[in-house]
Amino acid sequence: MRLSGLVLRHFRNLGSQDLEFPPEGVALIGDNAQGKSNFLEAIYYLETFRSFRGARDEQLVGFGQEVFRVAGIASSSSPDHRRVAEVTAAFERKDGRKKVSVDGTEPERLGEALGRLAAVVFSPTDVDLVSGGPKERRRFLDMVLSLNEPGYLSALQEYKKILSRRNASLKEGYSGSVVMAWNQGLISSGSKVMWARKNWIEGGTQTFGDYYVRVSENARARMTYRPSVPSVGANSVDEIGEAIRGALADSSDRERRMGTTLVGPHRDEVRLHLERADDDLDLRDYGSGGQRRTAALALRLVEAWTIRKRRNETPLILLDDVFAELDQGRSERVLELMEEEEPGQVVLTAPKEADVKIKKDKLALWRISAGRITT
Amino acid sequence: MSVIKQLTDELSRLPGIGSKTALRLVHHLMKGSKEEAGQLSRAITKLIENIKICKECGNFSEDEFCEVCTNPARDRSVLCVVEEAYEVGAIERTGQYRGMFHVLGGRLSPLDGVGPEELNVAALLRRITESQGEIQEVIVATNASVEGEATAVFLEREIRSLGPCVTRLARGIPVGSDLEYVDGTTIAQALVGRREM
Ligand SMILES: [Zn+2]
Repeated sequence: MRLSGLVLRHFRNLGSQDLEFPPEGVALIGDNAQGKSNFLEAIYYLETFRSFRGARDEQLVGFGQEVFRVAGIASSSSPDHRRVAEVTAAFERKDGRKKVSVDGTEPERLGEALGRLAAVVFSPTDVDLVSGGPKERRRFLDMVLSLNEPGYLSALQEYKKILSRRNASLKEGYSGSVVMAWNQGLISSGSKVMWARKNWIEGGTQTFGDYYVRVSENARARMTYRPSVPSVGANSVDEIGEAIRGALADSSDRERRMGTTLVGPHRDEVRLHLERADDDLDLRDYGSGGQRRTAALALRLVEAWTIRKRRNETPLILLDDVFAELDQGRSERVLELMEEEEPGQVVLTAPKEADVKIKKDKLALWRISAGRITT
Repeated sequence: MSVIKQLTDELSRLPGIGSKTALRLVHHLMKGSKEEAGQLSRAITKLIENIKICKECGNFSEDEFCEVCTNPARDRSVLCVVEEAYEVGAIERTGQYRGMFHVLGGRLSPLDGVGPEELNVAALLRRITESQGEIQEVIVATNASVEGEATAVFLEREIRSLGPCVTRLARGIPVGSDLEYVDGTTIAQALVGRREM
């Protein structure tokens, strides 16, 4: 997928601008704090309708403004460049209302409008995916699978709804039969979530390792699913459901004592580790800065690979000054790898023209100063 | 408080009516004849003075016991459990159901502090026990929301040990929707296709 047009209205400091994008992409050059990341944030907002930097919608409204609006035209990345969809998103600060439309129609559920750009954003803060807590990695899994696995988002939303009610039943000390009344729904939605996570991790670990070794030129990395429910050998949604059922029964006394649900996908972990001859190195706890950054990059590359594989789309690649913190050897190898994957459209930000190293001479050079973009 | 504001505030508390709609209704009443507004006012008074809750099933009623509970032609071997009293009307309008009702007055909703004690559950279990086997089937017609499903699972366990078979409406009722807003044909099909839980 590629972006052919973008309309910005008071998103952060970007003011009011209408931009046309060339098919190969854009390199946006500017000093720090001029709005480079805001620009990528605005584009990616059209993919997920939330800030990839974790900002609340209120924080995205320009200073002194009440409403922001972003609209983009997604076009096919195949040579015909045909227009695929117009996606718009607007947010009103006063009543906290978000409005999303695809081709002028508001979807009944936000989930139906997700993923229209097929974009992946690479950012220096991605290192948190590796060095942060399990929650960061669950959020990453949930995003990738919500965008690429049909039915995942609705199962996840149902799971979260049931979980909060079951936890309230435990916390308020309702009888065991009230607590157990939520089990059936918890198991049926939770097993779908876990099954999708298991398949994605097991199907992607090889690719993750391939990317990692290409960039780091030494050890091989793996990702391993560490569910809170012992489900080794579970080979279907139903078998995972049975595993959850058993784990719920085993932990019911502890659950009562602690007043919360102790097993299920909300306690899953994805372990990222290096395979070595004699032992196994956990990247979160023992990885060096360079190893963690490389693993984070590899995760994003697997995300792009998932889009190509599952949706049969060439992803739109957004790079937020991403090579600034990698050493020269690693960044050259990442660039080589990205070029090999035949990227479609690329939108990147960099402080200087000399930092633009991917798709050299093919990207249009734009500049940004105090939120104003000159093309 | 002005009389206009007072009525506007009262109306905007009704479901589905925002403050703008409430104000429009007030303006409409002010423009119309006094006779018209008086009729509305009397109808509301009559409603609150006469409507009661049936002592047997929790349905709306004008007497101590409702029209369903006092009708000798109804089938007393089947009992249909609904969340709210207005849902009895939705099932009655299908014309397909001849059994009895029981209104829970809500659904399990621990986030709002609603557990079995806050619902009409004890009365339901007593009714089943006291029927001494006459009630052979209980249809759990709680909504297809996560809370309605959990309520159904909870009731099934409680009821089955007392003897009757417990059935659930067939799928086809849109998830999360109140029976009240589902069309009669869909409800009738869900009743016919009900399955043992
Ligand atoms: Zn009655």
